[in-house]
Amino acid sequence: MLIRFWGVRGAIPAPGPETNRYGGNTSCVSVVGRKGQLVILDMGTGVMRLGHTLLTGEMGKGQGFASVLLSHAHWDHIQGFPFFPPVFVPGNRFHVYGNAHSSDLLEGILEGQMNPHFSPIYTLKNLGSNIHFTPVMPDESYDLGGIELRGRPNPHGHTSALAFRLEEEGRSMVYAPDAGYHEGGPSREMLELYRGADILIHDSTYTPADRATRLDRGNASYAEAAAAAVAAGARHLVLFHFDQDYADDVVDGMVHACRGELDRIGGKSIALTAAAEGLEIEL
Amino acid sequence: MKARFWGVRGSIPVPGPQTNRYGGNTSCVQIDADGMNPIIIDAGTGIRRLGKDLAVREFGEGKGVAHLLISHTHWDHIQGLPYFSPLYTRGNRLHVYALRRDTHLRAVFASQTESPYFPVSLDELVADVDFHELGDSQRFEIGPAVVRCTRLNHPWVALAYRIDLDGRSVVYASDTAPFTDILFENEFIGQPPAPGEPVDPSKAALLAAMRDALVDLCRGADLLIYDTQFTPEEYREKPHWGHSTPDDAIAIAREADVKTLALYHYAPHRTDDEQDAILEHYRTALRGQRLQLVAAYEGLELPVGGPA
Repeated sequence: MLIRFWGVRGAIPAPGPETNRYGGNTSCVSVVGRKGQLVILDMGTGVMRLGHTLLTGEMGKGQGFASVLLSHAHWDHIQGFPFFPPVFVPGNRFHVYGNAHSSDLLEGILEGQMNPHFSPIYTLKNLGSNIHFTPVMPDESYDLGGIELRGRPNPHGHTSALAFRLEEEGRSMVYAPDAGYHEGGPSREMLELYRGADILIHDSTYTPADRATRLDRGNASYAEAAAAAVAAGARHLVLFHFDQDYADDVVDGMVHACRGELDRIGGKSIALTAAAEGLEIEL
Repeated sequence: MKARFWGVRGSIPVPGPQTNRYGGNTSCVQIDADGMNPIIIDAGTGIRRLGKDLAVREFGEGKGVAHLLISHTHWDHIQGLPYFSPLYTRGNRLHVYALRRDTHLRAVFASQTESPYFPVSLDELVADVDFHELGDSQRFEIGPAVVRCTRLNHPWVALAYRIDLDGRSVVYASDTAPFTDILFENEFIGQPPAPGEPVDPSKAALLAAMRDALVDLCRGADLLIYDTQFTPEEYREKPHWGHSTPDDAIAIAREADVKTLALYHYAPHRTDDEQDAILEHYRTALRGQRLQLVAAYEGLELPVGGPA
């Protein structure tokens, strides 16, 4: 699997020179499997650039297919959807997996985004491509053309956000973008989802100090990300979903502090990277 | 009176080095004058930094009052509102003005932040938010300022606003298509018309009336802020998107005898260097004429009508 980061920010896009290195776009990660299967994790504003690059391939000819995994429907995870050019190309097909109790409810969430008060698209039906919806149920697995998908909701403020695990030929990655753990960290079931992941992309919205004053936001600190990585025996932790007010040097500081935290709590062997727009990791 | 630009982008925020100078935040302009509560036009992502700026003054103490004129409720004009920090301080008051179509404004704005889209609902905000529903063409007062509005040519709706204070005036006209090829009403337009082809006479008459009303609104304005999303080539590809070119903006500005025109609401793909070239091209074309041309960028402060 080849992992690429297109948007690493939480909450709201944060343009400006101070975010040039890590990037100011909201959450979007792409994964390409060994047979070329395309999986898109969340559709924050980062998905716009991904869409433009895809137009040079099958997506430009209306012969593309992608699985789209939506962790939840907060704006920073879906706001790029109407700006993803391949959805306008007739013939392209998308299978959207998300956090809802039924496929109709999941479709309704994206439909609400297109409401004519808010969008010139008016309705999903005006997109040229073909879109299917599947709600993700814990304890079930889904076959994405040879990549196995499992998902489970993390607490996220008043709501929940799915964490996803993708496995292909013995390699595994986990994407846990919004994780507002209760005291004690991830649940036992969630740790099983994370268990032994080669790559754990984990919510690191805050420094521990900011997390302490924003408990109701439902997002993790880098220290909680480190603790989850150690508890789950992950091999490589990728910090993700940075607060919109954190300039690049703040994120640099978080990476440095997180390395220290990992070393302190028994994670010396765990590799550490901060996600940045344009970063690629080959599994 | 002065205009401060906090977001100048259309459609979607575009972070990245290619937008560092003009800025990647979506639409938001502040109109400020001594002794007047701030008037904000549109609540794209630029309003987040404006909120921080206001919070160091009376808005930090819960004593602030601001007026927000919304051109229309497409995402790029409202998506920053939930991140406008004065809304999270008890005692502050925000007056929101927008055109009402088929739904009460409070319901439209409430659905922006309802579950599952956003964690804090409109009802949970501790500041007071009052909605003022406008018609197509209206005149009202905000403190000492007089505000007028007129309808623009954009999918669903959009309003242009003029603010007059102490003999100085600023007009905000975004988003709008030119008034030549297509009349936006209630329908979704999937297929673009061919620019330059004749328009149905009844629609042509409505478009002409809409344009006349806009020119009237702009008459003699010190500053006109205008949607210039497209180059002429881009417009010919996308006349059904509801946006204009600098040529359209200049034509309106000259007919209305506007003093300064600010290019605004740039396409997401427009790089800083491209926007520099666009500004240079039109400045050259306007050399020797009275109309002054600027290209809005984040952080720009323009006095309206020169120093008082």
